[in-house]
Amino acid sequence: MTEPVVNALPDVARESPWQDALDELAQRRSSAQALGGAAAVAKHRQQGRLTIRERIDGLVDPDSFQEVGRLTGQGRYEHGRLTSVTPAPYVMGLAQIDGRPVAVGGEDFTVRGGTSWSGDRKKGGQGGFVEDLAHNYRIPLVNLIDGAGGSVTSIQRRGHAVFPGVHGFERSVQLLGEVPVVCAVLGTAAGGPAGRAILAHWSVMVKGTSQVFAAGPPVVERSLGQKITKEELGGPELAVATAGTIDNVAASEQECFALIRRYLSYMPRNVWELPPLGGQGDPVDRCADELAGIVPENRRKPYDMRKVVRLIADTGSVFEIQPTFGKAVITALARMHGTVVGVVANNPMVYGGAMDVKAARKQTHFMELCDCFHIPLLFLVDVPGFMVGKDAEAAATLREGMRAVYVGLQATVPIFTVVVRKCYGMAGMGTTDKNGLDFKIAWPSAEWGSLPIEGGVAAAFRRDIEAAPDPKLREMQIEAELRAAASPFRTAEAFGVEEIIDPRETRPYLCRFIDAARGRLATSVGPKPKYGVRP
Amino acid sequence: MALLELKSEVTGSVWKIVTAAGQKLEPGETVMILESMKMEIPVIAEDGGKLVEIRVTEGTSVAEGQVLAVVQE
Repeated sequence: MTEPVVNALPDVARESPWQDALDELAQRRSSAQALGGAAAVAKHRQQGRLTIRERIDGLVDPDSFQEVGRLTGQGRYEHGRLTSVTPAPYVMGLAQIDGRPVAVGGEDFTVRGGTSWSGDRKKGGQGGFVEDLAHNYRIPLVNLIDGAGGSVTSIQRRGHAVFPGVHGFERSVQLLGEVPVVCAVLGTAAGGPAGRAILAHWSVMVKGTSQVFAAGPPVVERSLGQKITKEELGGPELAVATAGTIDNVAASEQECFALIRRYLSYMPRNVWELPPLGGQGDPVDRCADELAGIVPENRRKPYDMRKVVRLIADTGSVFEIQPTFGKAVITALARMHGTVVGVVANNPMVYGGAMDVKAARKQTHFMELCDCFHIPLLFLVDVPGFMVGKDAEAAATLREGMRAVYVGLQATVPIFTVVVRKCYGMAGMGTTDKNGLDFKIAWPSAEWGSLPIEGGVAAAFRRDIEAAPDPKLREMQIEAELRAAASPFRTAEAFGVEEIIDPRETRPYLCRFIDAARGRLATSVGPKPKYGVRP
Repeated sequence: MALLELKSEVTGSVWKIVTAAGQKLEPGETVMILESMKMEIPVIAEDGGKLVEIRVTEGTSVAEGQVLAVVQE
């Protein structure tokens, strides 16, 4: 590990009257560097996990970490002289990622499994100095979580049980409206550390070496009699793909750090600033020919919406959030002519793009994230409506879906809508900004209405159909008549959509307006007030 | 040779099975087509391999996450 220059002791110290004190300082720093000792560190590494110091080094710019609170811990003394120090199980400080300041910290699992330590002031974990640092300096916070939370042994140590919330989440909650907060789960997180992981704008965990749950297998077995492994209970298969508790998964800790750096590259330092403008090398007028034929003529056939996103956005700029959860919608951070945008694209490969409860939850969180950090939203719409059926109703799709619509209507960032194919019902309503910039364009393959024609004909024209000599034929005739009248060109005649475009023109058209919106974005920075009660 | 389970991403029914057990699959080849929300959803063997087993028949209802077929990569 490279020692930051600022911490090196100058040679003049050799002549100092404070020589003994300076020697003690060196001894204490060396203890901090040793973490929980050689044996504990070796055991930790054997499990395929990095130490907290290696993690911080792997994440931040080289030599940029300035530790705070390195001397914290429990000293042992003989005849008043220091013999050794067990460091506090939390390492934190100020660092830089891509040249921009961040507050970073994480539990040191090699010291008592990263459980809490009772000093005068908390270093981090839940609140503490590192979160105050992010708040006071208005800089992003990165939590590298590797702790198992409270232990009943603390009752013995303190002589009393601590009331929940004494080391509370007040600051953690406040930060979510001020600066980007990223949490990485890098070990087995239960209780407080698991809760802390959720209080983030974006979270990530590592396949094979990390799990997250409210309570681990021993508590589950005691409470419910269920025998379950910690991987089954809180590995990425459950926590990321099934529950969406954590957003993304990395194959290794190194990949995890790369993902964190990537995520933060789309974020402003705080809500009082705009996200950084990226490179503008990809030409605005790049028209991908593939877009012209990507939507099949047969309405029953799906297509690759991810490819549509890639072809429209700046090359190499698409970063998908929650790629394995709520797959009926794709949410991604991307850039358009360098400007960061949040892409919400329905995925026809999953439920024909219908919004199910998971997709609704995912979309709600993503829209709120983009609104908070002044990132314009770009909707690529192919949504037949809310998911239907008993399972969908039992899962509260209607409520979660309307919550997504509500949050979309509250957003004040510019919203750009491109209707690729279907745009129906309330889910479709949630993809446009009727009261703001209200900008919606459509491809010739677009179709819209309060519900898809084939679903509505039988009910609306029941008497007409039943009276016909050949009811099936009559139903098809009515469908054909309505479909002709529902052509997107007719809505464009009425200026019900602003434009029908050749799909190849999507990127140039959008870039013009997104570039133009930067001026307005710059005038509306700051925290977003929250009002009302979400449905 | 790892065995990979192809799972359904949707609740729906099996519309058409377009392959047979034992056959070789090219990367990206469609194994079967499901029907859900009036859409034809292809089930694709991303990396190809050998189709070891098909666990459903045409017309079967399938649930999200259900194993449809097994591929040897």
